[in-house]
Amino acid sequence: MNLILKKDQLNHLLNSWRQDYEVYAPQALQNYTHFLPLQDGFELAFDKAHNTRIPPKALFLPTSEALLKFTKFGGYEQVPLETAPRIIFGIRPCDAHAMTMLDTVFEQERYTDPHWKARRDATLLVGLGCHEPCQTGFCTTVGSGPFNHAGLDAILTDLGEIFLVETLTEKGEQLFTQLETATEEQSKQASEVQQAAAASMPIAFETEGLKEKLDQNFDSPYWEEISRSCLGCGVCTFLCPTCFCFDIVDEAQRGERVRNWDTCMFRTYSLEASGHNPRPSRVERTRQRLSHKYTHWVDQINQIGCTGCGRCVRYCPVGLDIRAMLRKASQLPSEVAHV
Amino acid sequence: MHDLDALKAEAKRLLEEGVVEMIIGFKAGDTPLHPQPAFFKTPEEVDQLVYNALCQNNLATYLTRFPKTLKIGMLVRGCENRSVNALVFEGQHPREALYLIGVPCEGIIDWRKIVAQAGEEVISVTEQSDNTILVESKSGFFTLEKNTLLHESCARCIHPNPVSADIVIGELLPEGDPALAREQVAAFAELSLPERYAWFRQEAERCIRCYACREACPMCYCEECFVDHISPRWTESGTTPAGMQGWHIVRAFHQTGRCTSCGACERACPMDIKMTYLTEKLNEDMRQKYNFEVGMDTTTPPPFSTITLDDKSRFVV
Repeated sequence: MNLILKKDQLNHLLNSWRQDYEVYAPQALQNYTHFLPLQDGFELAFDKAHNTRIPPKALFLPTSEALLKFTKFGGYEQVPLETAPRIIFGIRPCDAHAMTMLDTVFEQERYTDPHWKARRDATLLVGLGCHEPCQTGFCTTVGSGPFNHAGLDAILTDLGEIFLVETLTEKGEQLFTQLETATEEQSKQASEVQQAAAASMPIAFETEGLKEKLDQNFDSPYWEEISRSCLGCGVCTFLCPTCFCFDIVDEAQRGERVRNWDTCMFRTYSLEASGHNPRPSRVERTRQRLSHKYTHWVDQINQIGCTGCGRCVRYCPVGLDIRAMLRKASQLPSEVAHV
Repeated sequence: MHDLDALKAEAKRLLEEGVVEMIIGFKAGDTPLHPQPAFFKTPEEVDQLVYNALCQNNLATYLTRFPKTLKIGMLVRGCENRSVNALVFEGQHPREALYLIGVPCEGIIDWRKIVAQAGEEVISVTEQSDNTILVESKSGFFTLEKNTLLHESCARCIHPNPVSADIVIGELLPEGDPALAREQVAAFAELSLPERYAWFRQEAERCIRCYACREACPMCYCEECFVDHISPRWTESGTTPAGMQGWHIVRAFHQTGRCTSCGACERACPMDIKMTYLTEKLNEDMRQKYNFEVGMDTTTPPPFSTITLDDKSRFVV
């Protein structure tokens, strides 16, 4: 259903949600924006088309969290889960889309991650579409878009003085019961804004046949070329909304088993107890990062494991750009000689 | 402004004459704010060379990746030259297998400061001869004073000129004022203990432990970093306050007498964490207590890297 939210009523609406929910929205933190719980007198910082520095995956998979505590005499106890109802307001469509992909990892039939599931079940996602898409983003190239609905309970379109609200789930509808219905004219205007935004984004690289090219060129010198200046830090993967790798560590002094973010870009990620490392250099690690997103996800869920948010492009300390890497990949030979 | 043609000509000559087998420099990035480190092996490839105030990496960080027998040419500014010297002292590459093309440095621009004024959608950045930067972004054209955009480490730089390059291209600049570097250290020292701790916590605890600071630093070349040790475990693994504080304080400490104040760590940080206030204090102590600045040559050992049999502290020997 399409509804109208006047911008000067937004804070009032958010405050009314705060009665029943913890409401997270992008707010200024240092020089960037971050999803923080709204407090009295909050100031939103969501007027820019850009994303928060840390993707909202961190609200479901924290950078570090204790899974269990050790007790005396070899026992342990679970760390209680916080599952207060939450609304994440102002999440961008790329980040919401990424949540649906992570669900396929953490909510598999046989193995469901209880922490992830509890937090997901307790959280509503109210999206803000990108009427001015960011320069580094490439959502339309990878099957998402500036007004993609995936994962969202409702999505807002900025129409100047008002937001047009499209409710997408029953729960989303419940959040906006007090709003007036949009006129046909307003709905039409919103759909024009949405189409213009998507149309303004150039196709960053060819995805047709990309998976096959990457698969066929597993041993190509291409990987060394694109990883030559890579520092091997975790910026691209930690800031990525679809990267989910973690490491489980026993912090003996704290008496806790903790789960920390980890990344395939680290040497220690694939280091085995014997000392052998199947991904000994940045070449293999870069290949893993790109292949996971552009071939393994495609094999597993038939979707590219990237929603084009552009964070890795913006914050790579050496200016590496995944779009350029994949443009180069599409120039690779399709058939490699059989050995 | 750099004489790009002269830099290219020299780089080509070195490759053509076989003086070096590879040149480490920069090439244009895919976005105007981010030129990329580049490795040129043929004179033809050198045509891609770019050099401007947005080249934010300390290229010396790549030196330890290559075999010590490889003859490497590298474009070096003051800090990079000193990092190279420090690495040569630490036995990481023989000086004979290096050819340093020196470039007096007017300072690196902090791209975040451009974004703060011109918006994130930057289309082009042009350095102009009157010390201004012309930025074209989606929000329009902006003429910005270069001095206001400099990275903090560069604004207080003491040695902008290469100290031991094989050739210097460009006119030497006046040396920086050590008092400027001292100012920041002194201002921090004047804060009360709780204020200093609050500042430290505010910076350290935003860390996501991506280790971009470590990887960007030429002096962080350990095969296995202390944070990756399993046994003994030196610091907590996660983003707990203890883990993040442990990382930041020990990282800084390992730089004592080794850090050249290049600021590459801060420029690499995705969370805009200030780090150099810790290393600058150590650098100032090195100057004050030992009259030592790292990397001014390749032979003077850093004070904490020397062990003598008559050392007053017997625990060392």
